[in-house]
Amino acid sequence: MFDLSSMTEYVPAFVEGFIVTAQVSIVSIIGSFLIGVIVALMRVSTNKALQFISLCYVDLFRNIPFIVLIFFSFYGLPEIGVYIDAFWTGCLTLSVAVGAYVAETLRAGIINIDKGIIEASKSFGLSKFRIYQKVIMPIALTTSVRPLGSVFINLILTTSILSAITLNELTGASKIIASTTFRPFEVYVFLVIFYGILTFILSGIIAVWHRHLNKYNGVA
Amino acid sequence: MIEIQNLHKDFGDLKVLKGVDLSIKPGEVVSILGGSGSGKSTMMRCINGLESITKGKIIVDDFDVSKSNDLREVRKRCSTVFQQFDLYPHLRVIDNITLAPIAVLGQSKEEANDKAMELLNSVALGDRASAYPSQLSGGQKQRIGICRALAMNPSYLLLDEVTSSLDPEMTAEVLDILKILSKQGITMISVTHEIEFAREISDRIVFLDEGRILKDLPKDDFFSESGGKSDPRIARFLSKMGNV
Repeated sequence: MFDLSSMTEYVPAFVEGFIVTAQVSIVSIIGSFLIGVIVALMRVSTNKALQFISLCYVDLFRNIPFIVLIFFSFYGLPEIGVYIDAFWTGCLTLSVAVGAYVAETLRAGIINIDKGIIEASKSFGLSKFRIYQKVIMPIALTTSVRPLGSVFINLILTTSILSAITLNELTGASKIIASTTFRPFEVYVFLVIFYGILTFILSGIIAVWHRHLNKYNGVA
Repeated sequence: MIEIQNLHKDFGDLKVLKGVDLSIKPGEVVSILGGSGSGKSTMMRCINGLESITKGKIIVDDFDVSKSNDLREVRKRCSTVFQQFDLYPHLRVIDNITLAPIAVLGQSKEEANDKAMELLNSVALGDRASAYPSQLSGGQKQRIGICRALAMNPSYLLLDEVTSSLDPEMTAEVLDILKILSKQGITMISVTHEIEFAREISDRIVFLDEGRILKDLPKDDFFSESGGKSDPRIARFLSKMGNV
């Protein structure tokens, strides 16, 4: 029989897993954003070498299944002497993998900016750095923030794969609870709710950010 | 002083400018006329380094546009008003105007704001300082474009077909401001299709045709029968523009 009360004693374990998932998500969102910004700038730079390197990066990490990447960094890298714990392996691998998607999303925003606006800022003598900081990135973000939101929600969902490298985040914790209680239905109802909460919060943040960035053109 | 010497500009196989020589003295108001494709806008874009130069030289107050160290100085001295306004859409009007003065000239925010408000009031837009460009009409946008250019205290104001995107009413409101400016001693180089406007404000008219200067004459000579109009190409152009 369906009986959620059977889960009461496991709520702390769920919450613990939830916290790990939230932590990995936050660290990886920040990490992938930073990597994405740098790679996007390389993609649109006039330097052929930077263009090539960033293109390789994006193509490489968008074309490898995440589970293969995470196995490689958790089980493969120690073979050549690189030891990182499961939490940081997860954060780093997610940042690097999702960074490729962030880069493409930002690049789309950058190349869609009206060239005249960039030329205007050039014509007044603004340095390259200032043009990126004050003109290009803010405008690119206004169009990229929605698709960026999808990328980050995907990132949260992908953290579930980290259960495969012994990290007891939400999914990992749930599997353990399910195998001790033999009540997979109730366990996974909880799991669904917790992921729902996380992605719901992120969607809310993205919506507020989008409204803030787009207040200039009346798009809400 | 702006000195353009034997300026050539190619886009691939297409030769747009084929040896332009032009010098503009401080305080002069010069209008560049010519049909579309004559190279007017390209020449303007070369002056502030938005286009690279294929051959020849442009010197602005001893600074060579094609030297990257000098280009920043050139750009401090030359401010452009653009045909499509090209305001920063994500910035409020006041920040559109103060961005470059703060970032390039190193003005303090207060100093730049004061100057911007002064300029905005002079074009009767003081009450729109905190609006976004999308909330303004075309004529208002272009008046902001002029304020943005003037906020740099430029020695040279480059006007690149500044009324071509405006309807006649808005054109008038922008031209009125430029007429006042032209009497205040600022050096103006204006690419325009507004023949009457060019006739009213200019000291000199330069007529470009197929990438070369066909005539470079004081205004009155240019519009006289024995001067500019004696050239059939120019006479045809003027009559086509509704000016006989």
